[in-house]
Amino acid sequence: MATGRAEIEFTYDGGRTRLAHLDQSDPLRILFPDVADDEPFTGALVTTSGGLVGGDSLGIVVHGAAGTASRIVGQAAEKVYRSLGADVTIEVKLDASDGAWLEWLPQETILFENARMRRATLADVGAGARMMAGEMIVFGRTAMGETMTQGLVRDSWEVRREGRLVWSDALHLDTELNATLNSAAGLGGASAYASMIYVGDDAPDSIDTARDLLGEPEQGLYAAATCVGDVLIVRWLGANSLSLRNAYGDFWCGFRSRIAGYPAQMPRLWNM
Amino acid sequence: MDTITTIESPDLADIGEADLLRLMAWLSPSFPVGAFSYSHGLEYAVEAGRVTDRDGLLAWSSEIVCQGSGRVDACLFRASYEATFKGDRDLMGWALERGDTMRATRELGVESEGQGRAFTDMVAGPWPAREYDWLRELAAELDRPAVYPVAVALAAAAYKIPERAALTAYLHAFGANLVSAGVRLIPLGQSDGLQTIAELEPVVERAVTAAMVDTRDDIGSGTLMADWASARHETQYTRLFRS
Repeated sequence: MATGRAEIEFTYDGGRTRLAHLDQSDPLRILFPDVADDEPFTGALVTTSGGLVGGDSLGIVVHGAAGTASRIVGQAAEKVYRSLGADVTIEVKLDASDGAWLEWLPQETILFENARMRRATLADVGAGARMMAGEMIVFGRTAMGETMTQGLVRDSWEVRREGRLVWSDALHLDTELNATLNSAAGLGGASAYASMIYVGDDAPDSIDTARDLLGEPEQGLYAAATCVGDVLIVRWLGANSLSLRNAYGDFWCGFRSRIAGYPAQMPRLWNM
Repeated sequence: MDTITTIESPDLADIGEADLLRLMAWLSPSFPVGAFSYSHGLEYAVEAGRVTDRDGLLAWSSEIVCQGSGRVDACLFRASYEATFKGDRDLMGWALERGDTMRATRELGVESEGQGRAFTDMVAGPWPAREYDWLRELAAELDRPAVYPVAVALAAAAYKIPERAALTAYLHAFGANLVSAGVRLIPLGQSDGLQTIAELEPVVERAVTAAMVDTRDDIGSGTLMADWASARHETQYTRLFRS
């Protein structure tokens, strides 16, 4: 069992975003790939163990101080292996102080049959700050024809603005997963889903942009956008995790470009 | 917060005539919370061809009662009931905060908040209780509305109606309202609608049984396709329903 921790703090200094603090312990590691000058300061999060087993616990803290522009990207898909009983727990804390831009872009989490995962993403977005945060879950090793029928999936979100809880959400699937995964109102036979949460003063005004970017998704892919207060929520569901991943990536590029003027590109790691 | 205390709430077996009369009045489709105007995303699901007949309606409604908003509402209901019974401000604060923020879509939020406000406004005159003032003050202090399950649970606890019976009535009304929307939207005949309501009975019992052992830490849902339908409903061209 592993207990990994990664803490990253960015500061705004001398007219640019700099790394102020970095603390990491196995199996988590942060790398800093070179990116184009017009990209936010980018860190790549690596899980060196190659996957998570029951009892593993990861804690990730990202703090973008006032005025910073930063982005944390997952280096690869995260695997959660079958568990004999213990849960994998993951807690992600994302804090964007006043006027900061923060992107949290993990790659997909692949849950093996009988995996047990509890993940909480806790975001706090300061005055005038903006945050794009994502997640993608694949139920079972779909490439091998495996679907998930048993296990535990809890994926929860808490979004705060200047400390006040403004949106919470929790996907919670326990034991007989196949019933909910296959029911029409549940996941409707989808084996993958993704979310993009955008928080900022301009979120309500960005919903038309989001809907425009979603367009009419291809056959078998379900996507929709809604806005609760200043939290914009975009979700995808689909039976084909690869086409879902592509649609999600296309949206991510387009959205960051349209609302913040960043390049309409995914980080190189996304396509490796 | 102390969690050892068990609530001295009466058992289901202890339900009296007065309890039954109140639950029937409060959770009747004629109680003016505007329930008929909410479809919980079903209007879009029907339009998109996801729900087309009686079996589809039963499956759709059952999943929402057991794994969707019904599950979240049941958790909020139980917390609010316990908080009212004990006068526990922290716990009621938790229910108010979760009820306010746990909105899968904008319209599902409007549905729960609108009915909660209507229920609180309407129930207090005919069925007075000082607990409403307690809730109103706390809600104002925290700047959180009392969503529908919170409002109903408070009234039930204030009138010492057995918790399990009150929750059963609440979830039945919620499920029956989905069926009623489906009857109008698909459309189905009255006998098919009633058949669906009859077949929802064991589903409601199952949902209540699960809710009585679920922990608050596990509040959540699994009805992503219902959430999708609700989000898509926001831009549906022709709409009869508010959600």
